[in-house]
Amino acid sequence: MLASHAQKYGILIALIVACIFLTFANEYFLTGRNILNVLRQTSINGILAIGMTFVILTRGIDLSVGSIVALAGVVSASLATTSSAAMVAGGPYPVAIAFGAGLAVGMACGAVSGFVVARFNVPAFVATLGMLSAARGLTLIYAGGKPVPNLTDAYRWIGTADLAGIPMPVVAFAVIFLAATWVLTSTRFGRHVYAAGGNPHAAKVSGINVPRIRLLVYVISGGMAGFAGMMLAARTGSALTQAGIAYELDAIAAVVIGGTSLAGGIGRVTGTVIGALLIGVMNNGLDLMGVESYYQQVIKGGLIVAAVMLDQARHKQA
Amino acid sequence: MKTLLKTMVSISALMVAMPAAAQEPLKIGAAVYGLNAEFMQIWAEALENHPAVRDGIVTVTIFDGKYDALVQQEQFETMITQGYDGIIFVPIDIEAGAAAVQAASEAGIPVFGSNTRVNSDLLTAYVGSDDVQSGYMEAKYVLDKIGCTGNVVIIEGPIGQSAQIQRLEGNLKALAECPDVKVIEQRTANWSRAEAQTLMENWLTAHPGEIAGVIGQNDEMALGAIEAIKGAKFEVTDFAIAGIDGITDALLAVKAGDMASILQDGAAQAQGALDLAIAAKMPDYKPMSEIWTHYTDMPWNDGKDKAYNVPWTPVTAENVDALLALRN
Repeated sequence: MLASHAQKYGILIALIVACIFLTFANEYFLTGRNILNVLRQTSINGILAIGMTFVILTRGIDLSVGSIVALAGVVSASLATTSSAAMVAGGPYPVAIAFGAGLAVGMACGAVSGFVVARFNVPAFVATLGMLSAARGLTLIYAGGKPVPNLTDAYRWIGTADLAGIPMPVVAFAVIFLAATWVLTSTRFGRHVYAAGGNPHAAKVSGINVPRIRLLVYVISGGMAGFAGMMLAARTGSALTQAGIAYELDAIAAVVIGGTSLAGGIGRVTGTVIGALLIGVMNNGLDLMGVESYYQQVIKGGLIVAAVMLDQARHKQA
Repeated sequence: MKTLLKTMVSISALMVAMPAAAQEPLKIGAAVYGLNAEFMQIWAEALENHPAVRDGIVTVTIFDGKYDALVQQEQFETMITQGYDGIIFVPIDIEAGAAAVQAASEAGIPVFGSNTRVNSDLLTAYVGSDDVQSGYMEAKYVLDKIGCTGNVVIIEGPIGQSAQIQRLEGNLKALAECPDVKVIEQRTANWSRAEAQTLMENWLTAHPGEIAGVIGQNDEMALGAIEAIKGAKFEVTDFAIAGIDGITDALLAVKAGDMASILQDGAAQAQGALDLAIAAKMPDYKPMSEIWTHYTDMPWNDGKDKAYNVPWTPVTAENVDALLALRN
């Protein structure tokens, strides 16, 4: 019971404690602009982590999101660049086409991983490890190893614009968070995701098409990664082939810190978002205080292991 | 089986006995630390477009080291086994490459360094650019622009890499000439634009209105800082910002008046090393790359020097269009 409470509220308490500490430690932490900074810096990892939550809820894992970030980034950017060396013939195309292409690329990568997992029972770790390598290679082939610069203003809007003072990446993060929460808590598909992860056999017996659910969660994760990749390109002004390296680790960390069980079936998007925010707050706070980034990695490592230890304690009780 | 073996032995004996035919092209291998970034792409393209390659005097094979010293070591072993005539080496790490150079040297294959140094006295020659100098040049630009007064931040490369160490040395040399300038933040962003952007966003928050200059040890990180400044709704022109390398995005930013960049001529580093590698095997060879006429400060000297220093080119509003034209 204690462990369960610690699991449910521990991460939120940790976030609040971190914020209180940083407020006293640095005069600029609790300013409007810095809070927007934290949210903006968290948005890309947050969106990846939300997609990852769907996958982990079904007992899977998606190691390929970082590579999909880069692939979707260069493909969509090549449709929205004004640089003649990097553009697809006839470009720049309207931003809707560029975004559509990036999203489609991400979802297609996810569909391939999902199909391999669902249809051939290849462990998710292996299937997405393959996609991690393949998508990175395709990125380099597609872009010839070079960045895709000079993106149109319309394309950069999603990364740089404000909506009533709130940066677009934060708006997108919030919308995706609300949508994902709704899907998981209030739709039949959401209930099937929990069922397929919690007890696949029982889910199958009760008539749920488990392979279809498993396929779709990778499509969702791939789509989120594609979207995040375009937002990253829009934010930095150029799609880079090295973008997103090791992003999967931070995304998995956010999900795990947020209390979603790697054993499947248990977890909430809210927890994931709090986990992502905790990582973001920590990075930002240590930057403000001038602490070397190497410490950030050590602290993050400790948090991940502590979160899983809590998860294990709960399993013993259940 | 025995006959087959015999035939193979006699064929190999014949091959050894025959003098290399004059028209047989030299086989040069290039082991580069990794091909994921634009700079090494430019380097590799220049190597493949060297006039001697086009004329069939030499064939080049480029090995992608995948940012791993061990992979590079293994590629050296492959080239030694296959009897390459020379190796051009761009190591991932200044120390880790020494063993590979030694192995090639013991096999009688000359190794030519390019772009990145390796801590070995067995290199036949090295063609590169002095990173201390570029670090000095970029910091000098920033300090001149802020009038040798105010606060600056330094965004560094991965701590311990030779370019980071040497560029920092140059940065500090220029800073020593401006004792009134204070370095209020100095951190690594690992050559990454996204990391530098986050770092700069946080610094702008922690030091509101206090940062006058940004010394980025490469262009990617300087560009990240520019995006952070724009994102925070400051005027980029209120900051003095400089980077190094002359990547395409940076040339565009120079053109827009947002930053200064110092071009590292990777193409010259590649072609120069190849000319040296050919000259080592063909004593009468005259260098075919046009870099030797372009850089009068870097004389060919019959290909006998141990080190060739490719000059840095500051990118300015005047030459940026010409440099951009070379990229397409």
